[in-house]
Amino acid sequence: MRRILLIAAFVLSLCGAALAAPPARIVSLAPNVTEILYELGAGKRVAGVTDFCDWPPEAKEKSKVGGMINPSIEAIVSLRPDMVVMTTDGNPEEVGRKLSALGIQTHVLKARRLKELPDGIREIGKAISAEKEARALADRMEKAIEAYGQRGGKREDAPEKTLFVIWPQPLIVAGPSTTIDDAMGLLGLENMAKQAPTEYPRWSLEDVIRNSPEIIFIARGHADAEGFSRPLLEKLHGVDAVKNKRVYYVSDRILRLGPRIVEGIEEMEGLITGKDAKGGE
Amino acid sequence: MEGILLDRINFSYGNGNAVKDFSLAAARGEFIALMGPNAAGKSTLLKLACGILKPSSGAVKLSGRDLSAYAPKERARLISYLPQTPDVNIPFRVRELVDMGLYHGGGMEPEEALRAAGLLEKASSHITELSGGERKRAFVAMLLVQGSSIFLLDEPLANLDMKYQIELIRLLKGIIEGKNISVIMALHDINMAFHFHRVCVVKDGLMRALGKPEEVITKGLIRDVFEVEAEEFPGLRLKP
Amino acid sequence: MKKNILVLTLISLSVTLAALFVGASFINPLRADSLSREILFSIRLPRIAVSVLIGSSLGASGAVLQGLLRNPLADPYILGISSGAALFASAGLMLGTAFLGPFTIPLMAFAGASLTAAVVGGMGWKKGVLWPDRLLLAGIGVGFLFTAVLMLIMTLSTNYGLRRTLLWIFGDLSMSDWSLVPTGAVLVAAGLIITLARAKGLNALSLGDDMAHSLGFSPSRERFLLFTSVSLMTATSVSLGGVVGFVGLLIPHIVRFAVGSDARVLVPLSAIAGAGLVVFADMMGRTVMAPMEVPSGIITAIIGAPYFLYLLRKKDVFGV
Repeated sequence: MRRILLIAAFVLSLCGAALAAPPARIVSLAPNVTEILYELGAGKRVAGVTDFCDWPPEAKEKSKVGGMINPSIEAIVSLRPDMVVMTTDGNPEEVGRKLSALGIQTHVLKARRLKELPDGIREIGKAISAEKEARALADRMEKAIEAYGQRGGKREDAPEKTLFVIWPQPLIVAGPSTTIDDAMGLLGLENMAKQAPTEYPRWSLEDVIRNSPEIIFIARGHADAEGFSRPLLEKLHGVDAVKNKRVYYVSDRILRLGPRIVEGIEEMEGLITGKDAKGGE
Repeated sequence: MEGILLDRINFSYGNGNAVKDFSLAAARGEFIALMGPNAAGKSTLLKLACGILKPSSGAVKLSGRDLSAYAPKERARLISYLPQTPDVNIPFRVRELVDMGLYHGGGMEPEEALRAAGLLEKASSHITELSGGERKRAFVAMLLVQGSSIFLLDEPLANLDMKYQIELIRLLKGIIEGKNISVIMALHDINMAFHFHRVCVVKDGLMRALGKPEEVITKGLIRDVFEVEAEEFPGLRLKP
Repeated sequence: MKKNILVLTLISLSVTLAALFVGASFINPLRADSLSREILFSIRLPRIAVSVLIGSSLGASGAVLQGLLRNPLADPYILGISSGAALFASAGLMLGTAFLGPFTIPLMAFAGASLTAAVVGGMGWKKGVLWPDRLLLAGIGVGFLFTAVLMLIMTLSTNYGLRRTLLWIFGDLSMSDWSLVPTGAVLVAAGLIITLARAKGLNALSLGDDMAHSLGFSPSRERFLLFTSVSLMTATSVSLGGVVGFVGLLIPHIVRFAVGSDARVLVPLSAIAGAGLVVFADMMGRTVMAPMEVPSGIITAIIGAPYFLYLLRKKDVFGV
């Protein structure tokens, strides 16, 4: 009997320790998560990142665990993490299941939209014992987003028709239910593809020519965005945005649901208003 | 008159000689059976005779001229060959198949050849749907349209019912006689050999006998070449 | 049979004509304003032209290859040509468009396709002859190898552009441009002319090399010429618009069902019907969910697969 009590006490103390101690070795399975972790001051605690985690620059020095869809479970386990942070957006569920089965604690960032991000950050803060930093960051972002919400509505009487090009050939654009759509809403722009049935639809060139967007953004997600989009812009030479030279290349900050997304929105705003954005390239 | 002459030809696939010092002349209008056990070299001989294989020494001559000196188109007017199992993966219609004889030939009209082969009402069937005997007759009809003067046929009677075997032989004899066409046909049914003018017996690439069937096919030859006692053929009256 | 030839040709022609009118929005070419004319000439017509080129190459190539390899299941992509094209095109995407401009991808794809055809031809070559079974196996092997290398590169690389290669592999006609049409037309026409000139040889080869020899052909010469023309047409079609599945397999069977197996009729009509199918698939792709687009390869498969299965149930089509 005494022995059983002893064991119970021992197990309880273990659990208590695990609950109390902040995770010291964190693996991030998505670039936006990595950015959030660094922004919360947990950069030193990050033990591993994906091949796609390129920001902040020091994240590139961390151990790599592979891609987002196919991270190496072995590589993750060998880093002996006490917490793996993943996303519903980029990581398959079974990766989380497998890690849990191996006794590794996971936290999932469920935010998919701009408005959901601050709460997502707060939850990550709780999970990695950085609640104070998380609250500060989340509040700051909420405030900035709210400010846009008020400004954006007043900027123009009629919202300008805008096309956000994710990939130029074949033409793939940002549809509804995306952070980009959210950003356009904040900036008082009308997403031309807002009626699409999917988030990132292949889009008809005929429709672009006929509806003639006033502004075109092109994501600079790859090495030679200008080169790849040249044939597209040649085809669209009669469209208002091209005629009026309102085609803008934007960095991938706006594509990542992380702390820099506000800078991304600022960058887009700076491009369309002609003002220099704070974080512009 | 000489149709085709195989003049002391030798050939090997690389592992021992398949054909050794083989000579045979077929006259126009002659019907020759090429007999021998499996792997005796019958198919190899036919392929050499029509130029698919090239002899390592010796020559095949058509009307006194070396076979290799003919362009493929010219050759097709003089000599044609029917493999034992032609490919029929593509579902040609019988008429489409028979028309191919026209490409480089000029024998019978396709219609006439189909009638001769008894396939007129099957002209628009797919060759893949035909029975074995019908399929053989379809290919023979194609050869008739091509109209060469020498037919080399590799075991056309194999896997056919007795009835179809006899029909095919009758068809060939009926059409060919009087047209000065020579036929060399690989054969393994001894019973059928008696329909031919001459029989040429081969074993291990060597000619063992050549002559009229009733003279060549003897008990001794059957024992020697086919390694069977002739008593197994009670119906045949053979010389000892 | 003559009636069937006419019907197939008329269907293809009317589909092509209809494709002029239909799209994200209806356009009457006879009464078009300047905007509609712009859409018609710079978007719709080049798409139709490229569809015709791709469809006719694939239809004809499929008909030729099925006879050449004596295999009713052969299609133009079985020789690994599309895998080679995809591998090289992805290299082009990775290097960026710096050195060849907007022609980088089609040029790299063409180079990859031609190189693959040469490698497969080399593997299928023995004792001065191209052997059908060797060609088929070499094509499958080389195709698997190149696809694996492509997947490996895509797994290892974080290059954003490269991951988009996949979109290209599944066929894209939306960016079709007049600039590639003249070259493409010359190459496809060359392939078709060689093929038609050797149609009798193709018929003979379908019965086996020995039979072809007997019918007065040189099997190795005929097969070399036909293989070259098929490679040329397939390489051109892949470079023009990626991989549009099912056309090369399906069309020859449909056409064979309608007009028989004689290559002199089968090959040109497969070209016509193939063009009709791809034009139709592209028309549906830009219309059914407009302004969203559906890749034509998906549509050809959705139309094609059930029809193919239906044909399979009809005894006399495949001869089994």
